[in-house]
Amino acid sequence: MKVLVCLKQILDPDVPARDFQIDSAAKAARRGGANLVTNIFCENAVETALQFREAAGGDVKITALCYGESSAEDCLRKAMAMTVDEACLVERDGNTNPDAEAVGRVLAAAIQRLEQDGGPFDAVLVGRESGDWGVGQTGGLLAEELGRPALGFVESLQPGNGSVTLRRQTDVGIEVAEAEPPFLVTITNNEDNVPRIPKTRDVMMSYRKPLQKLSLADLELDSEEIRTGSSIFEVDEIFIPADEVECELAEGDTLDERVDQLARRIHEVVASIG
Amino acid sequence: MFRVGGTVPFMDPTQATREVFWNIEYTWLVYVLMVPTLAVFGWGFWLKIRRWRHGQAAIRFDRPGERLQLFLRNAVGQGRTIKSRYAGVFHTLVYTGFIVLFLATTVVAIHHDTPLHIMKGHFYLIFQSLIVDVFGLFVLVGVALAAIRRWISKPKLLVYTDEASWILVTIFVMALTGFMIEGWRIAVTDDPWAAWSPIGNLFALASDPLMSDAAMQTGHVAIWWFHLVVAFGWIAWVPFSKMSHVFTAPLNIFTANLDGYGGSLKTIDFESAERFGINHLGDFTWKDLLDFDACTECGRCTDVCPANTVGKSLSPRDIILDLQALMHKRGDEFLGAVNGDGGNGSGELLPIIDQKTAVSPEALFACTTCAACMEACPVHIEQMPKIVDARRYLVMEEADFPEGMMDMMNSLESRQHPFAGTQFSRVDWTEGLDIDVMAEMDDPHEAEVLMWVGCGGALVERNRNTVRATAKLLQKAGVKFAILGREESCTGDPARRVGNEFLFEMLAKGNVETLQRYGVRKMVTSCPHCFNSFRNEYPHFGGSYEVYHHTQFLDQLLESGRLDGNGAPGGSNGSPTVTFHDPCYLGRHNGEYEAPRNLLAKMGGTRQVEMQRSRNTSFCCGGGGGMAFVDEPPDQRVNQERAQEAVDTGADVVAVGCPFCATMLDDGVNARRGDRDVKVKDVAELLWDTIGEADQAAP
Ligand code: SF4
Ligand code: SF4
Repeated sequence: MKVLVCLKQILDPDVPARDFQIDSAAKAARRGGANLVTNIFCENAVETALQFREAAGGDVKITALCYGESSAEDCLRKAMAMTVDEACLVERDGNTNPDAEAVGRVLAAAIQRLEQDGGPFDAVLVGRESGDWGVGQTGGLLAEELGRPALGFVESLQPGNGSVTLRRQTDVGIEVAEAEPPFLVTITNNEDNVPRIPKTRDVMMSYRKPLQKLSLADLELDSEEIRTGSSIFEVDEIFIPADEVECELAEGDTLDERVDQLARRIHEVVASIG
Repeated sequence: MFRVGGTVPFMDPTQATREVFWNIEYTWLVYVLMVPTLAVFGWGFWLKIRRWRHGQAAIRFDRPGERLQLFLRNAVGQGRTIKSRYAGVFHTLVYTGFIVLFLATTVVAIHHDTPLHIMKGHFYLIFQSLIVDVFGLFVLVGVALAAIRRWISKPKLLVYTDEASWILVTIFVMALTGFMIEGWRIAVTDDPWAAWSPIGNLFALASDPLMSDAAMQTGHVAIWWFHLVVAFGWIAWVPFSKMSHVFTAPLNIFTANLDGYGGSLKTIDFESAERFGINHLGDFTWKDLLDFDACTECGRCTDVCPANTVGKSLSPRDIILDLQALMHKRGDEFLGAVNGDGGNGSGELLPIIDQKTAVSPEALFACTTCAACMEACPVHIEQMPKIVDARRYLVMEEADFPEGMMDMMNSLESRQHPFAGTQFSRVDWTEGLDIDVMAEMDDPHEAEVLMWVGCGGALVERNRNTVRATAKLLQKAGVKFAILGREESCTGDPARRVGNEFLFEMLAKGNVETLQRYGVRKMVTSCPHCFNSFRNEYPHFGGSYEVYHHTQFLDQLLESGRLDGNGAPGGSNGSPTVTFHDPCYLGRHNGEYEAPRNLLAKMGGTRQVEMQRSRNTSFCCGGGGGMAFVDEPPDQRVNQERAQEAVDTGADVVAVGCPFCATMLDDGVNARRGDRDVKVKDVAELLWDTIGEADQAAP
């Protein structure tokens, strides 16, 4: 069986506020001294794929695919350190456009190229959403491009008899579904797919695993078109939300008075928010 | 009737001696029995040496001068043994007794078996009779004291084995029977020199009215042979019991690590290493294996271990003893294991990490790497590096470690600092201070010293005042310094202590490269962990620096007059009583106890009190070894144990010199101070409070 996991490199969501700047003209976040990390849901997807391989008894080949800048090689190396078998980076040149449709097209083209060379992927795993823009559309749009059935918010894959059993989170509980490959799922997190820490030996081995690099030209995509993006999505304005805290102390001479005052103020504030 | 003591007044003391083998026939049997005794003795030690030789290489016979000094101080001079009062006393009695009795036996052998008849005259009277008697008594008393401890007071630190009891019994029996045969010989021969053997004479005087000469003579023969058989049996038993420490301990002290605890971890060659870390006896060095055989079971290491003190399962003594037992019991398998065959035919190596023994993952991950165990060990066993060796195996080969440590390492990997979720950047603390950042300087060489801020200083709210105070003091003294700012990465200390040597090496190499780029030679840091890494660990990666802990640097500034300590006495602190908590990585690991105390002494108005456990016996704050990142169970918190001790001194201020100690003790003191106002402050903060100008707090 062959499984493909898509990864995205994003600005570290844990970056301290002071290290984070917005370029409002370019409508983009400026990285400054902040770190880049793999989007957490993508790491959950890698972990889910690895657990699927373990449950299937090993005969599963996992490929990681990323559309990103050359720095994104780190994400792919880390995935391979987690014991993903091989990786492919489609190089992007400096555009942080969150347009999921354009990204979906690039990924689809790359997947089709990889399938030409190495046979079809039975399952494509995509993180639920990314920690930077949080659009959450890439998985669905990619499925559309690939012409495959898709299911969202999946938390685990279990091998069945010729099919795959999926567990997905819904508003009312867990839904269990059977899927015939090929299919695409978006992966969400649960307590079982916390990304593993790679063993040191695997970290070292990751440098010996194949990492293929493709350019948009290799995929016969018009980089200008991809950069401009589609019309389904446009960034209007980006800004850091002002975080205003007002502090008020409940006053009074005795504890009772202070509690009364506190309760009164809570009522007033709640009423004013309406 | 009453017996007169021979014809003493008329005898010539230069002729004084005694007959060797008096009353004993078949003396040839002694020599016959000696052969198997010595053979078993030699065989026992040969077995040990053979095992040690299966360990990996270690250089421990270099620097003979220093080794000899250490040997004289702590093996011959028992420097560490006597630090524990009760055990120190009885061990010294038995130890010196054994040496004197051994010498006496040698004298007898020379006198009897060589033409040198030295056992006579004043030497015979003073040494061979009087001194030997007194030291024989020492042995009796020493063993009795040990027995009282083992059988009556029963402290927790001891290991209660039958073997240990038998050792006491046999030594006591040997000494006692020695006096009996001496006494009966004196009595029967009317030895004119009896008074020179006071204890033997006491036996003579006591036996005389009760026994006939014939009875004494018969008793003498019987007890003499009994004494001999017990002694020979005992000698043959030595290499198989903990009495082997008589030989292994001095050897272990001679081959001890001379580089301080701060430089005691091994480096790994990742290119060639077959396994990372240690989970098999054969991967230890020969010195590690010798360590296992040198243990005297005294329990001092476990007694001072902070993790053990608060009730965790970690016990350095039991780690050593369980590994010793594994090495002894599975001797053949162990030897086989080295050759790649587990000895049980499976070809698998025997693991040392075992949930059922003291070498369990929980125990291993409870160690704060404080080195209290190593400092307490009378025979210089190196417990902590072995714990780190095993952690390395768990972390690097199995990726198996506690959750808090996992988050810390994830953060180190992606952000080069261990504090996931910090609100601060590496330069926020400098706001309003006008501090040069190397990358922004026209000529970074203008900086006379690099201030290495450290993650714990820059990124943890509580400690930003410490690094601010340090920087302001440097500015006040006119020191030209700079920081690396965003280019600073964690030194890798937390990764290394947790066992992720690979990550440590990556961080270290990165830092060495950055420091090289700016030509940095001299550094000052307020983090003892960074200080230790630069001082003891970075040289291995090509980074050698002159590095100072901020207390050392500030002390020098005061000493040289560049800073004036006599500002407002007591400053904004009033006249506080201060107790200083020694950071493990400044004190025990690097031997610096004075600088922070000097600084405090030079601050007008402060009064210093010491905690019970201070300087080299200081008790860890609980934050070392990656433990600062682990949530300890509420009833097993090392920091609270230490905070209680600090609070109990009655001090108003607990002075610290480490960002980890600061946060750990802050939490601890807040939990334990009750209604009292007790503050935790870095020495630099205190100094700035005392002599600095009014300053706005960190933003
Ligand atoms: S280094 Fe400290 S915590 Fe670790 S075993 Fe020794 S005494 Fe215990
Ligand atoms: S390791 Fe050292 S301190 Fe610990 S029990 Fe053995 S001899 Fe004593």
